[in-house]
Amino acid sequence: MKVAFIAHCLLNQNAKVEGGAKRPGMWEPVIDLLRERGYTIRQMPCPELAFGGARRFWGVREQFDTPVYRRHCRRLARLVAAVIEQHASAGDDVVLIGVDSSPTMGVDFTPSAPHWGGKPDIGEDDSTLVRGDGIFIEELKAELEQRGLPVPRSTGIRHWFADYDPDEELQRLEAILS
Amino acid sequence: MSADPRSRRVAVVADSLLESVLDELCAEGFGIIQLPPRGLDRDTAGAWLEQVAEHVAEFVRNDYDVVLVSDGLYAEELEALGLPQYAIQPPSTSRLTPET
Repeated sequence: MKVAFIAHCLLNQNAKVEGGAKRPGMWEPVIDLLRERGYTIRQMPCPELAFGGARRFWGVREQFDTPVYRRHCRRLARLVAAVIEQHASAGDDVVLIGVDSSPTMGVDFTPSAPHWGGKPDIGEDDSTLVRGDGIFIEELKAELEQRGLPVPRSTGIRHWFADYDPDEELQRLEAILS
Repeated sequence: MSADPRSRRVAVVADSLLESVLDELCAEGFGIIQLPPRGLDRDTAGAWLEQVAEHVAEFVRNDYDVVLVSDGLYAEELEALGLPQYAIQPPSTSRLTPET
């Protein structure tokens, strides 16, 4: 069995921060590809929606990186890791797809702006995308390590990158799919 | 960021029905919250349902339309969410119409 653990918003764009949705309901390029390749979808929770709510402000990694938010992410990561463990025990092929513009679900990139804070009138978005995991992905990796499980092959969707290239993304996704 | 095209429509969908209703829900602009698959241990299924309830509560609180596509699994827990059942559209019968 082939199983893809995907960021919540790829199946539910309504979970995005206001202004962040790209589609009415789901991000079809990934969903269609996974179905074509015969993957079973396992949707991960949206830590930001549950914690900050549907009307939360945009944020960067430094703002989310608090002990309480990490505990929240770790609680959800325990759930995801438990399901991954079940699939791994059954010998299933598992991949993980995050969102690389997210402070929470970033896999290879996450947004950073050490100076953001206070009154929510930052004006032009001057955050930068830096190498690294989002907070949830970091906690998930830690939880998997604690359980003695390998981190699945993974990548992040980059549809909010200024130089987003759908063909590059397709190749990157195909590289982790079997 | 550009204008946000979100539908503000969310379907909570049984894992066993996900594949069969994906195209229809996508065409209608629904986002999906997936319910736990059959076969999980009690604690894991409970944790999954707990986070689904948290997501649903937040959407409902913000006046999103939330519906349920259930296969009867976890019926007791899902009843507590108080969601209307989504009516799956029957397949088209146009091909069955006799030529006249």
